[in-house]
Amino acid sequence: MADASIEFKGTSFTLSVLHLKTSKLADIRADLEKKVAQAPDFFYLVPIVVNIEKLECAIDYQSVITLIEEFNFTFVGFTGSVTKDQRQLIRALGFSFVNTAKANASTNTSEKSTTSEKIDVVKSEQIVTPPKSNLYTDKVHRGQIRSGQQVYAKDQNLVVIGSVSAGAEVIADGNIHVYGSLRGRAIAGAQGHHKAQIYCQKLEAELVSINGNYWLSESMEQHWGSPVYIHLTDSELTSSKLI
Amino acid sequence: MARIIVVTSGKGGVGKTTSSAAIGLGLALKGNKVVLIDFDIGLRNLDLIMGCERRVVYDFVNVINGEATLNQALIKDKRVSSLSILPASQTRDKDALNKENVGKVLEDLGKLYDYIICDSPAGIEAGAMMALYYADEAIVTTNPEVSSVRDSDRILGMLASRSRRAELGLEPIKEHLLLTRYSPKRVEEGEMLSVEDVEDILSIPLLGVIPESQAVLKASNAGEPVILDTESDAGKAYQDVVDRLLGETVDFRFILAEKKGIFSRMFGG
Repeated sequence: MADASIEFKGTSFTLSVLHLKTSKLADIRADLEKKVAQAPDFFYLVPIVVNIEKLECAIDYQSVITLIEEFNFTFVGFTGSVTKDQRQLIRALGFSFVNTAKANASTNTSEKSTTSEKIDVVKSEQIVTPPKSNLYTDKVHRGQIRSGQQVYAKDQNLVVIGSVSAGAEVIADGNIHVYGSLRGRAIAGAQGHHKAQIYCQKLEAELVSINGNYWLSESMEQHWGSPVYIHLTDSELTSSKLI
Repeated sequence: MARIIVVTSGKGGVGKTTSSAAIGLGLALKGNKVVLIDFDIGLRNLDLIMGCERRVVYDFVNVINGEATLNQALIKDKRVSSLSILPASQTRDKDALNKENVGKVLEDLGKLYDYIICDSPAGIEAGAMMALYYADEAIVTTNPEVSSVRDSDRILGMLASRSRRAELGLEPIKEHLLLTRYSPKRVEEGEMLSVEDVEDILSIPLLGVIPESQAVLKASNAGEPVILDTESDAGKAYQDVVDRLLGETVDFRFILAEKKGIFSRMFGG
């Protein structure tokens, strides 16, 4: 049985956001003209979201859309932290409203006075940033990791079915599991992840590190040669026996 | 098809050439056609150990460069007619070899011989990589001490990643551990790593344990591979290695210290 002909999936894109600082269409047009003239090809058919949170008075939404389409942008929707009523109005008029993942709470207080430039064109903003959630997948390495070799599990956990030799290095952004002896270096939570842990069947490591906190061999005396897991408690490395 | 076996180690001075000579001669004595190749370009040693240094006219590099044919360069062993040696050049450096030409020479030799034993230079540079590139099997020669074990581990990583078999995704090189200069007494006294320690660290199958022996130095100086010294422990141990390479199951000897008698114990024997 074949899959359905379509599928909906959430994906994040980087979009250009046009911040409007005035409701005067003539001013917006003048500034847009200047900006677009600088790099016409760059702006041609660029999808654009219009941020209206800095507007002090109401604006004719349809005119804004017509205006930016005149300059060959592709209109996507409006955005900004505005009142619920405003949002409903926009939707009622048949335009889409795009929410940013991080509610853009910051209100710029130091401006709106004498600046002649009333628009900030192309301030790239990540519209939707899903939380980094790849940490539940594993990179599995079968066999021994030899001296001089390095294995890195980017955004993943690392599972080694074999030993890690002295002089070898295993790195993961998530957890590290070694089903053998850990004699080399193990660096877990490499991109900053304080809940990362290191598991091994025999601890004889040169160095273990979690989220930047590290131990050299001499700090591992307590459980040297034992099956252990190593984790952070209040930014302190701790080792506990597995069995 | 010939079995291409590289004798390698990473570290120098652990017994690669001694082992290549002994194993090569042992295989030939069992009726196999064997060629020994010295890959240590610039530091010609194998011909000395084999006792044929005065008969070197052309060498491996001459063959690579097309200055001599294989038949001109190969030296037939005087003791066993099925054994030949392809000596290294003393006047060139390791860059004289390149993959294509080495491959061509090995291919030609493969048609004439059952076993091609490549005696690797020390280190992990181009020369050592060239020696292991075409190998089907590797004899990783290791002394029971930490630096040698570490270097062997490094070479095992290279065998798994830099060889032709690794590059083409073929069945990996068959690895054998050969522990040389082993002294059971010093292991017992805690001065030396034990067979178990080394096996645990490297985790590859053990092919043989060659005991530390006066016979090895004597044999090297005489140009008679130690396997011919059938009275010596080292000679016997190499014979076991050859039998194991040929698929026989042989118990390991010389890995336990001799039991001291009560008198030698009393008098500090």
